[in-house]
Amino acid sequence: MFQIIKNEWRFLVRSRIFLGITIAFSAIMLLSIFLGNYQIKKQEQTYQNAKDHVRQQWVSIDEMNPHSAAHYGTYVFKPSNLLSSLDEGVNNVTGNVLRVEGHVQNEIIHSEASQMQAVSRFGKLKPSLLLQYIVPLLLIFLAFNSVSNEKQSGRLKLLVLQGAKPIQLIFAKTLSVWLYGILLLTFIMTAYALFNSQNLSTDIVIRTGLFFSTYSLYYFIICGLTVFFSARWQNATVALTSMLGIWIIWTMFIPNILMSSAEKWYALPSRNEFQSAMTEDRSKGLDGHNPTDKRSIELKEKVLKEYGVDSVSQLPINFDGMRMQADEDYGNSVWDKHFGNNRAILKQQKQSFQLGGIVNPFISLQNTSMGFMASDNLHHQAFLLQVENYRRVFIKMLNDKQIFGGSKTGNWSWKEDNAFFKSVPDFEYKPTQISEVLSNYMLDILLMILWSILVIILIVYGTKKIKII
Amino acid sequence: MRSLKTFLFEWKHFVGSPFKILAVLLFIIASMYGLHNGADLYHKQNAEIERINEEVETKKATILSYFKNNEKGPSEHPWVDITTPFWAIYNTPTYHFKNPSPTLVYNIGQTEQYGFYKLITTSSSGYDADMTKEIANPERIQSGTLDFSFVILFLLPLLLLVLLYNIKGQESEHGFLPLIFVQTGSKNWWLLSRTAFYTVLLLIVIFGLMVYGAMLTKVFVADTMFWNLLLWVTLYLFFWITLYFLILKYGKNTVSNTLQMVGVWLLFAFIIPATVQQWIAIEKPTNLMVDLIDVSRDKKSEINAQPIAVIDAQLFQLYPALKETKVAKDTIIVQKVRGYSSEALINLEIKKATQSIEADNRIKNELISKTYWYNPITYFQNKLNQLTHTDYKDYEAFRNNIRKSVDTRIKMMVFDTWNDITIDKEKYLEYNSTLPNNAYY
Repeated sequence: MFQIIKNEWRFLVRSRIFLGITIAFSAIMLLSIFLGNYQIKKQEQTYQNAKDHVRQQWVSIDEMNPHSAAHYGTYVFKPSNLLSSLDEGVNNVTGNVLRVEGHVQNEIIHSEASQMQAVSRFGKLKPSLLLQYIVPLLLIFLAFNSVSNEKQSGRLKLLVLQGAKPIQLIFAKTLSVWLYGILLLTFIMTAYALFNSQNLSTDIVIRTGLFFSTYSLYYFIICGLTVFFSARWQNATVALTSMLGIWIIWTMFIPNILMSSAEKWYALPSRNEFQSAMTEDRSKGLDGHNPTDKRSIELKEKVLKEYGVDSVSQLPINFDGMRMQADEDYGNSVWDKHFGNNRAILKQQKQSFQLGGIVNPFISLQNTSMGFMASDNLHHQAFLLQVENYRRVFIKMLNDKQIFGGSKTGNWSWKEDNAFFKSVPDFEYKPTQISEVLSNYMLDILLMILWSILVIILIVYGTKKIKII
Repeated sequence: MRSLKTFLFEWKHFVGSPFKILAVLLFIIASMYGLHNGADLYHKQNAEIERINEEVETKKATILSYFKNNEKGPSEHPWVDITTPFWAIYNTPTYHFKNPSPTLVYNIGQTEQYGFYKLITTSSSGYDADMTKEIANPERIQSGTLDFSFVILFLLPLLLLVLLYNIKGQESEHGFLPLIFVQTGSKNWWLLSRTAFYTVLLLIVIFGLMVYGAMLTKVFVADTMFWNLLLWVTLYLFFWITLYFLILKYGKNTVSNTLQMVGVWLLFAFIIPATVQQWIAIEKPTNLMVDLIDVSRDKKSEINAQPIAVIDAQLFQLYPALKETKVAKDTIIVQKVRGYSSEALINLEIKKATQSIEADNRIKNELISKTYWYNPITYFQNKLNQLTHTDYKDYEAFRNNIRKSVDTRIKMMVFDTWNDITIDKEKYLEYNSTLPNNAYY
């Protein structure tokens, strides 16, 4: 088998067209990595400038009432991620700016896609675009006549007479084309590693390793199926058109149709419905800005009882701040319910989409590619959760200062000094570790393994019936 | 005559090829699915607009009931006084809608990148959080909805490829190409007649699909859009036919022709648009709206912290007629009046900040337009977006419309406040008719 693979490669290398395509394609891949990295670094600079600017505004507050500061709030910008120079995932369409303030959990806004006219339906020139759409086509073109050519020239018969088994031959042909895909993949990963040698971490290495493995599996499926068709059909053109048909259905039809359908099966609320439902639930709770609110009065009675005093003026703490925090606590339960409901729906949509991998391994590839490069919706949601957790700590810190900082109830002119505002920590994004999210992609990996096994079974059983001539 | 025979004979070729028939059927199914996706979005947006209009009517009725019962506002919000211009205008619910065009059935375009309704207040801007897109799965938005335009822009060239790939190549491989040339006289006319058959076939299919789409929404109500769209789709079809025809004319065999056709498609559909988008992202990185953030926080505080005389001077500069109002002539300065009026000055700063954002975006769009001569799919895509009112520029106009409405609202609030007008039911109704819900296509 090794000899056949060696021979195949000898033929390939001799072909000028093949060499030309390989050189041109490698140049495009190199360009995609270089541009991808350059763009991410430039975006990173914009992000850092904006982050520093907003932080500078916050630490420059001379003096302010803590609750006024909660309204003044701050902003969190979605950080760029070097991994997304390999696969940008959803980053182009999600927002980038999130306002962090008291009383409300805001939504992330200002996506890149909304800032200009439409350009590319398939995103920027990232290695994932080439690896997902173009490399498989290249492999199909290399493999579609690998066996049928041998049949037509009569070499297959000769090889069988010389002792080669058809199954060995087909596997060898599959592996030789597959190795070409692996070579391109290795080239991309090596170039990526060289460009980012200073930023490589264990997590990045594991993620890129998984990225490499899933693409390898997908390429094996593509090569195996193409060689199988080449062996089964008498005519190479039929093998080519069959595989092109499969490629179109897998990459163009099914992902789009399935994703749109999943969104219909598990419908998200409209923005207006979502906001109205939250406003409705919010109105059932305590209004921090309204001392005459029934629930505020109840809380006041409770606190007065706890401290054993008759009026808020006798309290050693600032009851206004306490009411604000009670308002926040109630609000948080409302946000958890409604935003949590959206997250649950998104999860259901994702799971339905993942099951599409049963009929289409390209879906599994897309999911794992985005997931391992930390640019899928799961990672986006994890980022949003981190910001929301930060918001809660941030607001509580301000409210606690209002309560226990030494001011009295009703004293809204009381202000904290600059030292306090400087002590409030800035948001620090902690990248999601692959170990935390790997289980979400196990179904995709499993389906791709099953597909690979299916292709092997097809080759083993299917080739028994092939005509040698 | 020979060409006509070749043309008609191609029908036999077509019906004798199950692969080609299957491809056409798949194309029709995908198109119908896409048309329904567009129609669903059209109906969904209209239903949402209707629901919001109903909410607005309920809110208006609630406010009118306060006037009827001589109340100043909701009892749980004692600070609200609807007899003052500020609170009356605050409680005049005005929405601006980007009404979906019936042609949305053909092309969703950039619709899902933006919000399509906006509650107008005196502090609104076209870049508020509620102007962001509807809640949707970002992975679906990223992969794009399969709408009719997707089918046309990306799958039509592939369908053409499937229909044309073996023309001439098959005959050449079987060795009877010279015979055909002898029989038909001209190889160019023979090739043209065969490709013309598929062009006509696809034109009939596309026309049929577009008529089907027109039945899902009221497309024919939207003036001549149907015919404009058909014209551009036809031009797009001819663009690909020409390219493929040239490949077939100069091609040697089926496999090489197929490879070239796929190569051209990959170049125009993937490589060029993706490279352009990457280049633009490098030239003009995503705007993080820091200017707008500065206005909403620091600039706002700065304006409000100014001495009253400075605020007055700025307001008089903005609205010279304000000097003639009752409050301006009064020697007693009402602090609150200026407090509310400073909204006009903040709005001015917001407009300056948004203008710089829009200018930035315009540069990006100009960069995209400059690539059209070698980036045909993006050109046709944006042309379809423009025709179906789902283009960036439509949403820019929607934002401008919002800005104008905010300007009117603020001006009315400032003048009525400075004229010390007490709002009653009639005046409130006048506000509602002057500041109505507004639809923009």
